[in-house]
Amino acid sequence: MTQGPDAPRGAAPAARPPRPSLLASPWPRLALVAAAFAAWYFVFPSALSLGITLMLLAGWATAWDLLGGWTGQASLGHAAFVGLGAYTVGVTAANFDLAPWWAALLAMAAAALLALLWGRLTFGLRGAYFVLSTIAIAEILRLVAINERRLTGGAVGLFIFDLQEPFGLDLFSRHVEFWFSLGYLLLVLVVVALVTRGRLGYQMRAVREDEASAQAAGINPVAVKSWAFVLSAALTALGGCLYGVFLSALQPQPLFELHLSVRIALVAIIGGRGTLFGPLVGAALITLAAELFRTTFAQANLLIYGLLIVLVVLFMPRGIMGELERRVVRRRYAKSARG
Amino acid sequence: MPRALEAEGVTVRFGGLVAVNGVSLALDEGAILGLIGPNGAGKSTLFNALTGYVKARGQVSFYGRRVDRLQPYARTRLGMGRTFQIERPFEGLTVLENVLIPAFLRAAGPAEAERVAYAALEQVGLADRALQPSSDLNLARRRRLELAKALAVQPKVLFLDELMAGLNPPALKEMIGFVRSLADSGLAIIMVEHIMEAVTELCEEVIVLAFGEKIAHGTPQVVMNDERVVEAYLGGADE
Amino acid sequence: MEGLAPFLQNLSGGLLIGGIYALIGVGLSLIFGVMRVINFAHGEFVMLGMYLAIVLFVQLGLDPYVSLLIAAPAGFLVGMVVQRLVIARLVDIPGDSTLLVTLGLGLVISNVLFLVFGAEPKSIYLPYATRTVMLAGIRLPVAQLIAGGVTLVLITGLWLLLTRTELGRAVRATAQNRLGAELVGIDTPRIHALVFGVGMALAMAAGVILAPLLFAIPTAGASYTLKAFVVTVLGGLGSVPGAIGGGLLLGVVEFMGASYLSSGYRDAYGLFAFLLVLLLRPEGLFGRTVKRV
Repeated sequence: MTQGPDAPRGAAPAARPPRPSLLASPWPRLALVAAAFAAWYFVFPSALSLGITLMLLAGWATAWDLLGGWTGQASLGHAAFVGLGAYTVGVTAANFDLAPWWAALLAMAAAALLALLWGRLTFGLRGAYFVLSTIAIAEILRLVAINERRLTGGAVGLFIFDLQEPFGLDLFSRHVEFWFSLGYLLLVLVVVALVTRGRLGYQMRAVREDEASAQAAGINPVAVKSWAFVLSAALTALGGCLYGVFLSALQPQPLFELHLSVRIALVAIIGGRGTLFGPLVGAALITLAAELFRTTFAQANLLIYGLLIVLVVLFMPRGIMGELERRVVRRRYAKSARG
Repeated sequence: MPRALEAEGVTVRFGGLVAVNGVSLALDEGAILGLIGPNGAGKSTLFNALTGYVKARGQVSFYGRRVDRLQPYARTRLGMGRTFQIERPFEGLTVLENVLIPAFLRAAGPAEAERVAYAALEQVGLADRALQPSSDLNLARRRRLELAKALAVQPKVLFLDELMAGLNPPALKEMIGFVRSLADSGLAIIMVEHIMEAVTELCEEVIVLAFGEKIAHGTPQVVMNDERVVEAYLGGADE
Repeated sequence: MEGLAPFLQNLSGGLLIGGIYALIGVGLSLIFGVMRVINFAHGEFVMLGMYLAIVLFVQLGLDPYVSLLIAAPAGFLVGMVVQRLVIARLVDIPGDSTLLVTLGLGLVISNVLFLVFGAEPKSIYLPYATRTVMLAGIRLPVAQLIAGGVTLVLITGLWLLLTRTELGRAVRATAQNRLGAELVGIDTPRIHALVFGVGMALAMAAGVILAPLLFAIPTAGASYTLKAFVVTVLGGLGSVPGAIGGGLLLGVVEFMGASYLSSGYRDAYGLFAFLLVLLLRPEGLFGRTVKRV
């Protein structure tokens, strides 16, 4: 039943079954995520900090995935944006008494600008060279944070003592931070859901799969990568602002470190690159495992990342959600072919 | 008929090697121009030069507008659609998504893009496989997908790079009929092709390349009887 | 800080540490040149070498320069096993799977070291190695001189292996054109395993000769990996002589930058050079990389 190119077209449009559409809604699942974390607040009131770090990590990884997964430009430098966000809040609060919400906007703008320049410089590099360049740039920024003591407090760090309160909310309260983090995670998921279902999202996929073919579809790969990087960086920096307030004591070591960049990237890759919920699943899995083995591994919890990434690369190269989605796609096609 | 594409003195150098040497050509709306020649004659390179994938000297005009300094994507946006000799589906995506991507170029939003994509898939007879992962398609269907992708940008000039190669006789016949119907609808088509049946049936005009140079130009019948052409093919055969 | 003597002092210091960088980088470069694999666990193998030297010194009182004879073969074996069990399964898959798997491997190694040895820095105290000798007004630490000597011997050995032996010819053929090498009967999977083994042997040897010089910290591996990348990109990914030049250059750049500009940015100078080379001359400073024919 091969229907050839010159078979009569439009012969019986009325008899055609409804065309399957790609525009299935992600909103019910997003609502489920929101409900699950809201339940966390009431069920585990003693584990709010854990919830906050989980949601921030998931948010960063989801934001990373815009560039690393959907657009296929894996970065090992995203800690730079976390650090940039945290330090922007800290520096502006200490020196100019700037309100944290203005600092957040400033941080996002600065991150976007940095991403634009960074991309301009490195998007010409391919594959491993791009990855290496992201490490190098993030390392240089870390060294700047350590050495420019007047601004950042150097290796000793910077403390956030005092912040203006939005609507009278104490930002240093774990309760407030929990809801802000949930809001942040949902914001990132909504942005990624909207972007990836639209024009830019498909352009990103095209650039990831094959740049020459993307050009033949009228897509400017550099522009698409730049947009993905800018969005990814701004969203990561916003989460960095929250993290800065959460930590209150900012030091270059954990904030700008290669290890944080690696964690963000691996969480997304383990969960499934280029899937909306993969990074969240990866973050949840890693956090759960780290909690289970907390006493055994103590501070060596990156061991879990190492083991999981090796297993995922060997046995589930698309990541957990990636393999699941692949299966769903195959099953849906089988169903549509039968029906 | 308005002039759709015009190229003058197109030259491509790879290091010391001259892959294409001063080739000129012209193509009118609704016409089909064939580009033939032995392996390594520079046909695909000329294609890549015209569509912007390799650096070239010379002039290329699209409906009177100079495009030779534009990036490939900008030429696509003006209306130069192309297929690749080795099909390049977006492997990780479904058939529909593959066509959705070029369809977005002229669509106002996702819903319209999906309509355009389905229209292109229906034209090539792949609509019933819309949800299949593109990596699962066989060669003939990948070829059709390649064509659907090129059509989804709604081009005015279509570059077909060995679209017929490897097709079995019935599929070849179908494809020839389809390309003819595209030209009849006003599309200008330029095709690199090894399958002589397709060339003689479709092309009013043929350009023969050998060692990067244009050695003959005319109707398929005239060109195939040209002494230099025969020599080029025989000479190329024992390489 | 003016005058010739401090300059020569910095130069010699840079060259000596640069020799070790070269030793680390040359393994990474060799592996990339032959297998097209970027080994993100390279620095962790250096740390493995350092801790092996420390264990042998503390438990058996073995001089680290003697434990080279154990560490290098151990590295070779471990490298072969890792290549056969993990990397061989991924080497033909396009994309970043080998990069990720070696990154994961590095995390596993550094965190296991952390679990076994704890976070506090460890070192070896060798009385004779802490001495310095004066040569034409330049102070040269003995441990660094020995390190330089060992590096010279190892790299010369590698060079002879690659250029003077049948095996070396097979390795170079595999690097230049894997398919062609297979067509003339070279067992390229075996070559890959050997090359990965040799790369890891060099990395662990570098760790051993670093043990008397620097403190060992389980998590320091990543920074050695980074140094190795810088070295190989400076010299051209895949080029063995390039890695030597790149290593020496990196050592000198760091020393000079630290003493004439700002010591806080010591690690940044190499990274700047790295970025500049990556962006302006991705084939490296020293000639051509091994390219497919």
